[in-house]
Amino acid sequence: MDLAAVVAPTSMADERTLPVAAALAPLLPGGGLVRGRTVACQGVASTSLAVALAVEATAAGGWLAVVDVPWLGVEAAGEMGIPLERLVRVEPGPERRKMWADLLAAVLDGFDLVVTRVPDGIGQGTLRRVRARVQARGAVLLTVGASGQDSGDVTMRTVTATWQGIADGHGHLRARRVCIEASGRRIPVLRRVEVWLPGPDGALAAGHDIGPAAERDPEPAPDMELRSAG
Amino acid sequence: MMTRRFVTVWCPDWPVAAAGLPADEPAIVVRANRVVARSAAAAAEGVVAGQRRRQAQQCCPDATLVEHDPARDARAFEPLVQVIGRFTPRVEMVEPGWACLDARGPSRYFGGDNALAERLMEGIGAVTTAAVGVGVADGRFAAAIAAHRCGGGPPTRRSPMVVAPRGSPEFLAPLPVACLRELGEADAELVGLFARLGLATLGDVAALPAADVLARFGPPGRHAHRLAGGTDDRPPAGSEPPPQRAVERVFDDPVAELGPLVFTGKQLADELVAGLSAEGCVCTRLVIVAETEEAERTERVWYRAAGMSAPAMVERLRWQLDGWLRALANPGPRGVGSRIEKVAGSRRSEVDGPVRHAGEERACGGRIEKVAGSRRSEVDGPVRHAGEERACGGRIEDGVVLLRLLPDEVRRDDGDQLGLWGGRSAADERAARAVTRLAGLVGDGGVLVPAWRGGRLPGERYDWVPASSTDLTDPDDTAERLRPRLAEPWPGTLPVPSPTVVPAAVRPAELIDAAGRPVGVGGRGELSAEPVALTIDGGRARPVTAWAGPWPLDERWWDAGRHRRLARFQVVTDDGAAHLVLAEHRRWWVAASYG
Repeated sequence: MDLAAVVAPTSMADERTLPVAAALAPLLPGGGLVRGRTVACQGVASTSLAVALAVEATAAGGWLAVVDVPWLGVEAAGEMGIPLERLVRVEPGPERRKMWADLLAAVLDGFDLVVTRVPDGIGQGTLRRVRARVQARGAVLLTVGASGQDSGDVTMRTVTATWQGIADGHGHLRARRVCIEASGRRIPVLRRVEVWLPGPDGALAAGHDIGPAAERDPEPAPDMELRSAG
Repeated sequence: MMTRRFVTVWCPDWPVAAAGLPADEPAIVVRANRVVARSAAAAAEGVVAGQRRRQAQQCCPDATLVEHDPARDARAFEPLVQVIGRFTPRVEMVEPGWACLDARGPSRYFGGDNALAERLMEGIGAVTTAAVGVGVADGRFAAAIAAHRCGGGPPTRRSPMVVAPRGSPEFLAPLPVACLRELGEADAELVGLFARLGLATLGDVAALPAADVLARFGPPGRHAHRLAGGTDDRPPAGSEPPPQRAVERVFDDPVAELGPLVFTGKQLADELVAGLSAEGCVCTRLVIVAETEEAERTERVWYRAAGMSAPAMVERLRWQLDGWLRALANPGPRGVGSRIEKVAGSRRSEVDGPVRHAGEERACGGRIEKVAGSRRSEVDGPVRHAGEERACGGRIEDGVVLLRLLPDEVRRDDGDQLGLWGGRSAADERAARAVTRLAGLVGDGGVLVPAWRGGRLPGERYDWVPASSTDLTDPDDTAERLRPRLAEPWPGTLPVPSPTVVPAAVRPAELIDAAGRPVGVGGRGELSAEPVALTIDGGRARPVTAWAGPWPLDERWWDAGRHRRLARFQVVTDDGAAHLVLAEHRRWWVAASYG
């Protein structure tokens, strides 16, 4: 065993990163989710973005806790690539604002990746405590939606979203082109990428085109859909 | 090597009996849409364990459906264990509804295997109306098979099945290899392979040379070969672990609640399993001991052929302590049937029930009569509650001061319980621990995991179930929970991508045409006009930039109560948001959004 590595007082930030999809890596300082940091996901596709950020790390064996985000679509998470066997949802119950920080502290003990939303009216002190906990545990906290005064170490915002495959009365939602902007303390210049979130198979996709041929001929055939089922 | 002789007591389809359902009426106990157990009447209609719920209901439409609850099974089995405990101090529990004991001592005392088995059956018959099978044979496996053969039918017409000493190989030889799977000794894959190779009976398997079986099928094959040959499942060599392996915790302050005890038990189990696995061992027989301040004591032996993981130990600890604490809290004639016990409990509760409720009733003032009336009319509900209250009361009086886990029998870990993709990672262990603690913080209903249910609308396809109801680190359990083996195609579902925002309830919405009127959908799915704007929850109207649909849905038209007829649309508004909009009962709803 390399003793130097064990006793070393510091470790570089990029040695402590959780992997992230290649298409999103340019947005993040360090090219991945650095342990101990908070990423705020905002904008029209915030839930998709938070899930997409968690995909690579959970696929590599990590567990994902979803705290106080009761609306998360399980099927969409599965399509994006989250292994559902390592997905746990935690609900704080009626005393949401009071429980949130304590609950998060307990969740951070067991999970490397936590998706949550910051309840309204949470004080700066509580947020600082939560952040310190995230740092101490070496987890990554992803917040969804407006996060109050706290913007996280990195703030990601989906600024534009354009759907493909749907028109007036025909086709169906197939893929969404989103432009994501990242800003934050460690990002001196606004970073921007355009990705398909979701792509045609439900997962994040890079690249400019999803294939125009498929776009002209949207599957599945409409009469399949129109059949009354049951 | 002499194979030890065992008596096995086995209640076929115990979960049905534990749920209080009579065997002569069709009843099915399900878990995750799979049949766990069924009553004899349902079995006669062709319902089998492992079947899908829908298939089972097809076979037997008027059956009562009950959700599976292992804790309830364990509680209801407690009186039977008390009875068996009168015959021997060492009852080995395998699972609720299945216990086993060493035949040698008791059999000599009671005058032979037959006499012992008859007396056991008689004793158990006095406390339960459920079907019971008693089997005596050399080796645990043969005894269990004998009990299975004997179980079924009304209690009056059954007699125990006793296999003569050294007669196990002949007894097992004509039985099909599927027996191995029924008792959980071999997985379906191995049994299927045996069958495909033309080894139809246990006798065929036993006739193979042991070395060849090991070479071809590995340790699981060797295990199956040993069982099929009627020799004891595990050679007893090294079965006595040194006593220092035992782990225990002494509480300075007596603990009276189940939650903290189970939590401590989890720590002990982790410690024990870590110690054993460091030596490459796995515990097959575990003794769980708990003592109270007043020297009340529970000691039970748990057996699991495949070896126990830490969660398996904790599960058994919970069963044992739950039953015991209840027994402590409700002192009285032990060893009576669950039904009788309940009645006795109700009589007692009537005495102190009104006292407890007096304060409330006084506070309610004019509503006293109503409350009293409702309590009298609902005989079953309040009775059970009263029992639980009493149980809580008892827990506080004398707490547990000692908890000990003693590995009674260990064997080398062949790794046969691990899947192809290896065991659990450190992250799995950590997450499972956190889940246990979180359940303590917010309750079982606050820590949820997804479970596949199936359906055509986004909110229907997955359910959130309490994490405590499944073993998160068990790959089989998880696979079962998330996808059935044969995933149904569900014709009529919307294509991928699925919506990411699926609120628990639909939100009222309005889809408006150019004239400002709500868009109407005809019976054949035609629209009255092009949608132009969408309003959600009475908010601001957003211009519609694109839309698609309708995808009509006419579900469960055969069931008046659950029939749904609706049309689905996808609507994109000018802010880039996309929604799944439903037209149902002439109104518009937003079911989900693509956030």
